[in-house]
Amino acid sequence: MRTPIGSTAGKARAWLAWLLPLTLAGCATVAPQQRSILADPTMRFDAQAAHEAALRHALDNREGSMGGHGVSGGGCGCN
Amino acid sequence: MQLKGGLAWAIAAVLVVSAAPARAQVAEFDTSHTVFYEAPTKTHMLVYSPSADLKATPWTWLEVAAGWQADVVSGASVATKAGPTYQSNHPAADVVTTASVRDLRNLGHGELTARGETTSLTAGYAYSTEHDYRSNSLFVNARTDVLQHNTQFELSYARNFDSVCDRVQGETNPVRFVALEDSTGCFTANPLRTTHDIGIDTYEASWGQSWTPVVETQLTYTAQLVDGFQSDPYRSVILGEGLKGQEHEPNDRAREAVTARLAWYLRALKAALRFTVRGYNDTWAIRSGTVEAEFEKSLGESFRVMARGRFYRQSGAVFWSDDYTGGGPPLGPKGQYWTGDRELSPFWSWLAGVRAVWTLTPARGRLLGVLESLQLVGSGNLTGFSYDEYTLGGTPVSGALAYVVTLSLSAAF
Repeated sequence: MRTPIGSTAGKARAWLAWLLPLTLAGCATVAPQQRSILADPTMRFDAQAAHEAALRHALDNREGSMGGHGVSGGGCGCN
Repeated sequence: MQLKGGLAWAIAAVLVVSAAPARAQVAEFDTSHTVFYEAPTKTHMLVYSPSADLKATPWTWLEVAAGWQADVVSGASVATKAGPTYQSNHPAADVVTTASVRDLRNLGHGELTARGETTSLTAGYAYSTEHDYRSNSLFVNARTDVLQHNTQFELSYARNFDSVCDRVQGETNPVRFVALEDSTGCFTANPLRTTHDIGIDTYEASWGQSWTPVVETQLTYTAQLVDGFQSDPYRSVILGEGLKGQEHEPNDRAREAVTARLAWYLRALKAALRFTVRGYNDTWAIRSGTVEAEFEKSLGESFRVMARGRFYRQSGAVFWSDDYTGGGPPLGPKGQYWTGDRELSPFWSWLAGVRAVWTLTPARGRLLGVLESLQLVGSGNLTGFSYDEYTLGGTPVSGALAYVVTLSLSAAF
């Protein structure tokens, strides 16, 4: 059973969705001098985003799903 | 012509801004070339997708980008879909037909990004044309880093104003609608052609977090509202004895997905493991799950290789049926809509791929006197689909493999 977005439970869930990241984020501390590995290209989720775009486009058009890779784009190209 | 005009303006804008006195001038040119090929039963599809992008940073606070991409499509698609019940009643007839497909998609886009020390704002526009499809897309993105760059929040929104070509129907009952024969006359004053609007709103919110010096995560929520004609205008579905109707899908669709990613650096191996899990749900009752794992290792300063595996599983749309003429469940009619789209049927798929990246950055000076760096990327991916219910006249789809090969070159000036 889905909770309607406008309901009290829905609003509480929406607030929780905003507050949880802020609360958890405060617990994590990586000092600037410790960030060298995090800056490595192998640790980036979108290091080759332009290269991967065509593959993502093909998968989106062969599956009934979408999401997780940004919102830009245009056209159908859905053959 | 409209596309050429838009591209010319975008390129001119890049050049004008680039010509201004540079403070932190970096220009980057990227070109990418992808070949997609698949050949499941009765259809062959070959798509070549070139792209070229130019990005300039005339000031540290401003980035200007413009680009072009295309899809050159040739092959065949299923034009009339029938299922096993109908085929068994008409054993002599080849009830599934295919139609050759030739299309060309051109897309031009431009973007402006304003950057602060910890924030950025991007606005962009894309215009694309196909023989039977037009698209105008506006998008904005806001991003901020907080807590010493350990936390990133990102909000994005895109609005598409699209239109698709269709045949003017002489009937009012959708079961008697006739499929579009070809794209001749589309987007002209041809009285036998019409267009349908499609509005697409896409929203995305993302939270990235560095937890330790070697662990990073990202949580993304994506929602999309689609309003308009979503059927394949060329496809017909056999609905009964002597009754063949153009594919008829609902006009409204609300879609949402939650994606979680984890990157974990393995110091001993000097390599990174990346995992992605995605859950998806929509108002057509499609639910899906995706699991993806990538392993990427640096080999020296300038070379890195990656291997990936991916598994995907989805349920079918509530109105999906492999045969609307009858038969025992899950076959039979499914209310007021019908489709022959295999992407709306229940199936699972797998993907395996490799990628190599070679980056050349001179320790001092510039390559050939002009290049700050040069990067070559090559990848190959193989994906296979296994359909639970989708058949072509009762014959299971075999050899549903797709090959995707991409080569990219990136040069920074």
